[in-house]
Amino acid sequence: MSTRIVIALIAAFCPLAIHAQEKLTAAEIVDKAQAAFYSPGSDTKARVVMDLINADGKKRTRVLTMLRKNFPGGREQRYFLYFHEPGDVRRTAFLVWKYPEKDDDRWIFIPAVNMTRRIAARDSRSSFVGSDFSYEDISGRDLGADSHTLLREEKLGDFACYVVQSTPKAAAEFSRKLSWIAKTSWLPLKEEYYDAQNQLARVFTADKIEAIGAGEKTYPTAVKRTMKNVQSGHRTEVVFESVSYDVGIPADIFTERSLQQAPEKWMR
Amino acid sequence: MRDRLIHGLTSFSVDHPRLVIGLTLAITLAFGLQLPKMTTDTDPKHMLPITSPVRQYNDQVEREFGLHADNLVVGIVNERGVVNSETLSHIAELTQRIQKIPGVVVRDVTSFTTIDNVTVEGGSLAVRPLLGEVSTSGEELAALRRALLENPLLRNRVISEDTKATAIYVPIEPSANGREIADRIRQMLPKGDSGDQYFLAGDPIARDTFGYEMFQQMALFSPVAGMVMCLALWFMFRSFAVVVANMAVAMISIVWAMGLFIGLGFPVHIMSSMSPVFLMAIATDSVHIFNEFYFRYGEVKNKRRAVLETMTAVGRPVVLSDLTTAAGFAALATGSIVPVRVFGLLVGFGTLVILLMSFTLVPAILILMREDRIAAAAQRERSQGAGGSPLLAKLASLCVRHAKPVALAGCALLVVAGVGLTRVRVNNNMVHWFKPDSEIRSADRVLNDHLGGTSIGYVVIRGSEENAMHEPRMLRSIESLQRELEKDPVVGKTHSVADFVKRINRVLHNDDPAFERVPDSATEIAQYLFLFSMSAKPSDLNNVVDYPFQSANIAIQLKSWDAGVMRGVLDRAHAHLAANPLPGGTTLRPAGIAYFNLVWNDEVLWGMVTSFLSGLVLVLILLVLETRSLRWGLVCFVPLFFTIAVIYGMVGLVGKDFDMPVAVLSTLSLGLAIDFAVHFVVRFQQYYATHSELDDSLVWAAARPGKGILRNAVLFALGFAVMGFAHLTPYITVGVLMAAIMLLSSISTIVLLPALIRIFDKRLLKGRTT
Repeated sequence: MSTRIVIALIAAFCPLAIHAQEKLTAAEIVDKAQAAFYSPGSDTKARVVMDLINADGKKRTRVLTMLRKNFPGGREQRYFLYFHEPGDVRRTAFLVWKYPEKDDDRWIFIPAVNMTRRIAARDSRSSFVGSDFSYEDISGRDLGADSHTLLREEKLGDFACYVVQSTPKAAAEFSRKLSWIAKTSWLPLKEEYYDAQNQLARVFTADKIEAIGAGEKTYPTAVKRTMKNVQSGHRTEVVFESVSYDVGIPADIFTERSLQQAPEKWMR
Repeated sequence: MRDRLIHGLTSFSVDHPRLVIGLTLAITLAFGLQLPKMTTDTDPKHMLPITSPVRQYNDQVEREFGLHADNLVVGIVNERGVVNSETLSHIAELTQRIQKIPGVVVRDVTSFTTIDNVTVEGGSLAVRPLLGEVSTSGEELAALRRALLENPLLRNRVISEDTKATAIYVPIEPSANGREIADRIRQMLPKGDSGDQYFLAGDPIARDTFGYEMFQQMALFSPVAGMVMCLALWFMFRSFAVVVANMAVAMISIVWAMGLFIGLGFPVHIMSSMSPVFLMAIATDSVHIFNEFYFRYGEVKNKRRAVLETMTAVGRPVVLSDLTTAAGFAALATGSIVPVRVFGLLVGFGTLVILLMSFTLVPAILILMREDRIAAAAQRERSQGAGGSPLLAKLASLCVRHAKPVALAGCALLVVAGVGLTRVRVNNNMVHWFKPDSEIRSADRVLNDHLGGTSIGYVVIRGSEENAMHEPRMLRSIESLQRELEKDPVVGKTHSVADFVKRINRVLHNDDPAFERVPDSATEIAQYLFLFSMSAKPSDLNNVVDYPFQSANIAIQLKSWDAGVMRGVLDRAHAHLAANPLPGGTTLRPAGIAYFNLVWNDEVLWGMVTSFLSGLVLVLILLVLETRSLRWGLVCFVPLFFTIAVIYGMVGLVGKDFDMPVAVLSTLSLGLAIDFAVHFVVRFQQYYATHSELDDSLVWAAARPGKGILRNAVLFALGFAVMGFAHLTPYITVGVLMAAIMLLSSISTIVLLPALIRIFDKRLLKGRTT
């Protein structure tokens, strides 16, 4: 387990922030935010606790191990998700090969029938494991899919932020999105998704940010995040426990074969 | 005491007519100032309080399963089949545009482009909206057609068996207005000759359209009914003052009563919106005053004396009939349904206002009338018969002579009515409040012909513990219950969590139909559902199973809005479960609009029936107290009882449902049918006390007060017959039945009462003759 250092982020990233403030375009800001949010480090391992809470306050909890590895040559990434809970779906595993500008490849392993099935990518706006997050919320949306406008700069809580509006070029799950991107960590601290009626539909918040150290580097990480559907009252709270970066996950874990027999060492 | 009060009021009004009129107008103005504050509430659901168990349970089920109470259905029918590129593009575009209408729940609009389809594509499991890009290739269209028909989750829901019809299901927010949204959708419908036909149906459209049109029709027909009554009054009395006095009494009572209740903050509901017509009807009671006044004037030739003597003669019956009317309506306040209570008290109060006006405003107007005009009118009255109507006199003497056959005929009619009464079906169907050829009703018919049904009910199965819905036995029970329910011809479609499990099982096994069944292990089911929840829209699963997988929701599409339909479904479910019980500790509870309508029907309509019956009892008690005789009380009660029995017997015989409009009408008959008998009996007693010749007295009562009674009835019937031209069936019902009630109760008074009094003369008149 890697060392976790909590640092006052403003202090840590102050010099960087000053440097960064020199006339970045909206697209560049979003690009940096995506890099900071979706692909920090060369790989990452985390235990994720996901609570799906409906308007009635009833809860479904999912506990999973998430492995991610960045592959050289652009933004290709592979994800391995292994479910510990709920108990009756234990050992269900999910593999995603994500490509820039192309549909993902996805496979699922269903232990009860000992079967691996390829899943045709539904459009990436569909819900991720029944949560309020969509697939693209989890793994990132293509930068070029939206046109981005820098609306203003403002403080959100203690953090100075860029407020960027992203409008999809083709029909999408949202009609526009506002992102508050921290100038220091480049993490999106809050996002508002508007629906076809231009009504606020979903709100993402990064509720707790920690700087996770790996060797010489530190990666600011949103270890607690919430996506709330303000229309249905449903929300999903995600906590990243024991996050570590640059741990050297072997590439052969991200294969169909290890779906059926997930290597225990990496699943703990 | 009361007679002194009446006399005092009358003399004061006769002595200071301008003061009385001025004072009345001032008070009316004060009440009138409240009218602009009017708010309306047309949702019949609100007749049950928010705290009623059915509303609370329904709300809970809707929250638990993320369902919507109000759904519109946009049906699209094309004789060539809807799976053609042109229609599909229309559907795609229309869906997108509907989602932009404020008040529509964007995320849950269901159509070809939003509904999830679970399939196998080249060995991959695919969960995605049924229709993405609209293709023009014949091959792809054929594939889509196949996909639609072979998937039980889609068949009969978004596609008809013959592929000629599809639907867009549009849930709307509880605060949204179904009629306004339907109007906006209508404007969006693609025009052109693609052969597509569009139909809009659903409870919110019917409800909100009805609410809207109801006020419109009320605004149109109240004045028209008023005008027809004015004309009739004019032809009866040829006196402008009579017309003015009658209408003034009606308007003043309406303004006072509506003003009071609006001022107190009550919204105008479906029921209370009808109170103007009711009060206008009750106000025609003053016809008896005019009727008597002209006879009296002809006798005494002195305006002041004629007014005072008239008021003395008709004072008692007017007080008695108005008090019983007011009491009958106030009895509605004993029920539990708030809008019915408000309505009862409102009309009751208005009736008391009419009573007050009868002894103040009416004499004041009479005394201000020009003497020469009165003389002329009185002369005309006299020329038609000094003792009243000769025709009525002949009729009454016939009845007196053949009292027994008349009474027997009455009894025979009662027996027939009794048979009809046993056939009365208490049922409400809001779609049937529109005419058969109306847009709303034809849309409903077309959609129900093609697809699963426009009405929806739910049956919630709750297991004894969490994850109960992962048990194969449980899912199989649910599945067999669904198959049983689908045997009911009004059930067009059911769907449940079992359908999703079966579908996934089949698709995972390379679309092998042999796997379209519930798997044998709970873990397998759990993992299939998990897989489904990982890929589909969350609402797909949330609508059919709750979070801890303890409760499942069977959605039942119904082809009829009849309240009783859900009772049939539930009876069938219970019968099936008695033979094939669910796993231990499992409970079943119904919900949804269809169930709500059933409860509404039972509680609101039966509530009105019981309030009505208690009103009847109260009226009888008042009559007995007033006449100080059980027998005379019963005699006064006979025409009311007879009229109600015959009218509702007829309703049963012709197979018309006892629905909300008919229920409202029953309360009206309570208020009016009693008046005639009271006038007849009280005036008969007065006359008999001085003349003591039974047959003559009866004939006199039928001819003179009887003329007033018949005039009152005709006035009324004419006013209401106008409503027969309305385009909402409840108004037609009210118009036709009202005219029937009035004519029947006046005739039963004039025909039955003389016969009855003749037959029971010894018991009734014992000790009174001398």
